[in-house]
Amino acid sequence: MSGDDRRALFRRLKTLRAAGQTDAALAALQDALRRGALGPGGVDKAGRWLARALPEVHTGPLRVLLLGQLTTTWLVNALIAEGWSRGLALRVGDGDYDSVLQEAIALADREPVEVVVLLPWTQRLLGGAGGPGRSGAERVEDELAYWAQVWGQLARRSGLRVIQVGYDWVGPGPLGAGLSGREGPVRWIRALNQGLLDALPEGFAFLDLAQVAGEVGRSRFYAPRRYHWTRQPFSELGVVALARHLSAALQAALTGPAKVLVLDLDNTLWGGVVGEEGPLGVALGDSAEGEAYRAFQGFCKALSARGVLLAVSSKNNRADAEEPFRVNPDMVLSLDDFAAFEADWSPKAAAIERIAATLNLGLDSVVFFDDNPAEREQVRQALPMVQVVEVPGDPAEYVRALEAGLYFESVGVTEADRRRADQYRTEAKRRTLQSAATSLDDYYASLAMRGCVRPIDEGGLSRALQLIGKTNQFNLTTRRHPRERVVGLMADPAALALTCRVWDRFGDHGVVSVILGAPCPGEPAPTLRLDTWLMSCRVIARTVEHFVFEAVLREASRLGYQRLIGEYLPTQKNSQVADLYDRLGFEALDPGGPDGEGARRWVLRVDGAVAPPHFVSADDPQN
Amino acid sequence: MASLEALNEVFCDVFEDDDITITRDTVAADVPGWDSVMNVTLMLELEDAFAVQFNASEVSGLKDVGALLDLLARKAG
Repeated sequence: MSGDDRRALFRRLKTLRAAGQTDAALAALQDALRRGALGPGGVDKAGRWLARALPEVHTGPLRVLLLGQLTTTWLVNALIAEGWSRGLALRVGDGDYDSVLQEAIALADREPVEVVVLLPWTQRLLGGAGGPGRSGAERVEDELAYWAQVWGQLARRSGLRVIQVGYDWVGPGPLGAGLSGREGPVRWIRALNQGLLDALPEGFAFLDLAQVAGEVGRSRFYAPRRYHWTRQPFSELGVVALARHLSAALQAALTGPAKVLVLDLDNTLWGGVVGEEGPLGVALGDSAEGEAYRAFQGFCKALSARGVLLAVSSKNNRADAEEPFRVNPDMVLSLDDFAAFEADWSPKAAAIERIAATLNLGLDSVVFFDDNPAEREQVRQALPMVQVVEVPGDPAEYVRALEAGLYFESVGVTEADRRRADQYRTEAKRRTLQSAATSLDDYYASLAMRGCVRPIDEGGLSRALQLIGKTNQFNLTTRRHPRERVVGLMADPAALALTCRVWDRFGDHGVVSVILGAPCPGEPAPTLRLDTWLMSCRVIARTVEHFVFEAVLREASRLGYQRLIGEYLPTQKNSQVADLYDRLGFEALDPGGPDGEGARRWVLRVDGAVAPPHFVSADDPQN
Repeated sequence: MASLEALNEVFCDVFEDDDITITRDTVAADVPGWDSVMNVTLMLELEDAFAVQFNASEVSGLKDVGALLDLLARKAG
């Protein structure tokens, strides 16, 4: 549409509205928007016009509030316009630049809204927020923590719908396209989007900005000068594309996606006219043209598998129309795939009305796909609530044209989605409970762990000292012994000084555990006191401690000990092993302080003691 | 080439008021609705109408319609 045509359109709208025919004007503008005829500037202007005209006709427009880490002012009109092209009457407002949390807190003081759209931007993530020492991963966490706070505010308001938009990048940054995705901004942003999705409260919707930008192409979706000028990065084209996706997300959130796709047959599902070429003569699969039709059929079939109903509206003799589905071996779709099949010579609008009635669906949930522009025009005029796809001339473009309309977008916040999610969750929970015991064992077994417990020797001493010096969590006594003490135990034939090395199918973990045991001379029966037992956190919770304990029992028995004394000295970090000796079958000697504080001791008779099951097979890499 | 008449037409279009008559001395305060937000819209529409592209500093330095006309003439030249 040229500038003059656009001016003529808006002049006509003005005349109609002045004459009290706002309804007709709104319909005319909706038609122009659906054809995508206005261009970015025209969409903005349409939004401004709609902001005034819609309230005259629609008493209860849906109220939407945009809150962004970027300026949202230029999205307001585009969203109103794109919403109207889908039949949504929206009233859109926006908050101040980069004040999302403040606005969310102050939401109660505003005019009520039904939907809040949250739009992030990357100025803090990529701008070195939190000081130069803050790593990318830490800044990702900062952003996630910020949105969690915002969500907490919004989740308190019952009935409020929330659409969280994702993060995106304008360009790869100084690392370039190759490295940025591996260790730079693109990687952080991907992690951030995944983090948002994972943490999103139930019922909130997510719009993947990176998908939207990728579809348009970032070089066209973003305009750097717009960011410096207005603190929002999108080009005019980008604003409209984002608004289009937002309106589809809104529609999906409110009324659900479109439910039925009505398809023509000749030159839509196959090339040529079946009444002339015959059921085997139509183009389907045996040429580039035929492949394109087959691909489109495959896409429709996949939509059907997703729950979209398919229907046929064809001007054909019914027998002719059905014949290719029965006899043509290249057909992807079968007659069973269609919920309704209208083949006669009546106008298509009438056929679509019959289809909607048969399926008990509203006409606004119908999408119509027909290669013939005259048929599309007839349906548009007779049934303006039906969404008519602008079908391109080349069948190779059919799939893209259907995708671009965003008719079947689903954002996961409808009641049905929620119920389905509940079902999944219940089912998942049941399965987890059922299989928890075996699945963990399966996991351990799948690791194919092997281990080797040996006396500490000269070569292993420095690694043992390193572990003694730094291990905090799995460390029963946290005694930071000096080198001489460890060397002394190594030299004492009655003492125990062992390390354990572990490797599995993913690789060698090296020496991960140290055990020091010292004889207790004053005891009535030969007794070994486990002075030190620690394990690196990389093998915690994999039954390695049972494997180590098995070796300790074996060694203690070999050295003639009858009793083992276990000790636990609590620290800030080692509570995970507070009950280790209980779990290994030791008997408590002294229970420690009133709240389980203070040092505790246990005893175990070596004779007859058995280590709990483990999944480490003994091996010695030096043999 | 941007004449005052052509510019006037864009103003009428953007501000949706056929009665606007601008002169070289017109400033933002003279046109109802010409705020900072609409100024961006106006500049984008002017770029479209006259097939030029402004940079941010050129846009922020304009004091009246006369300066805008001169800028458009410079860009077109």
